[in-house]
Amino acid sequence: MSVEVLAPMPGKILDVLVKVGDKVAEDDELVILEAMKMENPVYCTCDGVVKEIKVKKDDTVESDQILVILE
Amino acid sequence: MKQYFAKMDDLGKPLKPAQIERMKENVAQIEAVMKTIDTETERVKNAGIPAAKVHERKQMTIWDRIEYLIDPGTFCPLHTLYNPLDNEEGMTGVIDGLARISGKWCVLIGFDNKVMAGAWIAGQADNNLRVTDMAKIMNLPLVWLVNCSGVKLTEQELVYANRRGNGTCFFRHAELEQMGVPILAGIYGTNPAGGGYQGISPTILLAHKDCNIAVGGGGIVSGMSPKGKFDEAGAEQIIEATKHYKEVPPGSVGVHYDHTGFFRAVYEKEAEVLDGLKQYMAEMPAYNPRFFRVAEPAEPKYPPAEIPSIISFNQKAGYDFDNILARLVDGSEHLEFRPGFGPEVYTGLVKVDGYLLGAIGNRMGLLPNYPEYTNEYTGIGGKLYRQGLIKMNEFVTQCGRDRVPIIWFQDTSGIDVGDTAEKAELLGLGQSLIYSIEQTKVPMMLVVLRKGTAAAHYVMGGPTANNHNAFTLGTATTEIYVMHGETASTASFSRRLVKEKESGRPLGPIIDKMNELAQEYHDKSRPFYCAKTGFVDEVVRFEAIRNYLVAFANGVYQNPRSICPQHHMMLPRLIRAEVVKGLDRPAKQ
Repeated sequence: MSVEVLAPMPGKILDVLVKVGDKVAEDDELVILEAMKMENPVYCTCDGVVKEIKVKKDDTVESDQILVILE
Repeated sequence: MKQYFAKMDDLGKPLKPAQIERMKENVAQIEAVMKTIDTETERVKNAGIPAAKVHERKQMTIWDRIEYLIDPGTFCPLHTLYNPLDNEEGMTGVIDGLARISGKWCVLIGFDNKVMAGAWIAGQADNNLRVTDMAKIMNLPLVWLVNCSGVKLTEQELVYANRRGNGTCFFRHAELEQMGVPILAGIYGTNPAGGGYQGISPTILLAHKDCNIAVGGGGIVSGMSPKGKFDEAGAEQIIEATKHYKEVPPGSVGVHYDHTGFFRAVYEKEAEVLDGLKQYMAEMPAYNPRFFRVAEPAEPKYPPAEIPSIISFNQKAGYDFDNILARLVDGSEHLEFRPGFGPEVYTGLVKVDGYLLGAIGNRMGLLPNYPEYTNEYTGIGGKLYRQGLIKMNEFVTQCGRDRVPIIWFQDTSGIDVGDTAEKAELLGLGQSLIYSIEQTKVPMMLVVLRKGTAAAHYVMGGPTANNHNAFTLGTATTEIYVMHGETASTASFSRRLVKEKESGRPLGPIIDKMNELAQEYHDKSRPFYCAKTGFVDEVVRFEAIRNYLVAFANGVYQNPRSICPQHHMMLPRLIRAEVVKGLDRPAKQ
């Protein structure tokens, strides 16, 4: 079953902290999103494995845009 | 009430190896700042004449006296770097902090006899008043190591007069005594005039055999017949008088022990004065800790030394506040008050050394679908919104009712602004929090973890709460200012930019001014500056915060002015009423 991790608000990707194939747990930091003048971690919502990373550093994203897909 | 306090809810999580690795540079940045603080602290410790010179005179320095006097490892220094008037001595001439002596906690302060023989120097008056305030707020004995040569005569206008001058200390001593707070003094050296009052104003005077306290000293006595000017004849008279009074200074033991009886006891050796203080401290009234403890003391489950791997030196990066609190409180346990409401703020009950404290702090991170009063923008941790302000008001009020002292943690960029925020009553709610604090009459302390900004720095238990904030700690990541420097520059120069642009003039000079102002804000908000000016009372390592919490908890519960029986407290019931755990309705018979 795939799970999509979405951007909680518009912003800019400052860093991607995982790579495809990484095993991740709930509340792990996946991506750093710059928004509201702060650098905000986007957290993993469940245990799983990183299947696909849809963004890269310096990308601008919209609210609810898919950032990472987990399996 | 053990069902509430013996085992509270778990707080925090262990750190993952990847996070520890990622934060190594962060840890190094924090340590670099603390190294500069350490260097300044060493400078203060070595201020004045060399310790060796004092030892040659068979005397102890203030640092020797403190080390001998206190229970080892219990000294929590405060105001070490405080030098608000930037005097030439580089420090205020007194050393102070919280300490335990003979098993009892006190506020300890002493004159640095290496610095101008313990004179009144610029900035010292306010240092003394902060110390007397601590004794008042925490209801702790004040222990003075008196060794005071009086006013630094070449700068009398900076120390002598004024509503909050050095003399104010004597009225504070009388005020403390009116409140039943004793002041114990160990007296050394020559203490004329102002020094005389430093010696006479405490409650119990224990004297070294060579000390004196007097209305005036030899130098003052010989100058008592002013002629309008000085000349050779007058100078010769002064020399004779000074030689005589140097040998027999007024107010020595022969007068104030043998005749007036002001000195309760006299001791041959300097250390024996301190032994005398230890005996008196052992006899100070104090509740046995079991009277107020709600549980057995316990170390945090997670080590305080990990905090630099959690809190980011980069002010734009968030962190998990709960994980920091978990490393400061007993068992890494808590009872959170109103979780989910006012998510930008943490409020909850914690234990420190077995004692119950209220904890309040800013949570970091994005707050989607919040605040509830607008869709125009999204909430961000560090800012205060309506629910958070209401929650803090409620929690503080309940802490007052339950007589629970409070520790505040700040990392705030301010209260939400704009007409939307005004309609949400945030101006009134901010002042309401000030009112709530003011009506509690419980002791509080503050740790400015990172930012202390704008009115939020005031309302979240800031040092402006003169009657409640006992002391404020800063850290390597502390910065305190009315607003961020770039915001201030924009506010100050935006109209000028428009004018210059419209006039076709170059923007460069205005941009330079903006950068200068932003840099000035940066420089005047760093941890060392905050300690020097008194924005915070001490800058400490993150791992040392727990020591101050233990000192605070033990101090405020040693002899509190009022009591709420544990079984009459409402906070634990209010918290548990939201989530009733393990209390199923009894089965029908």
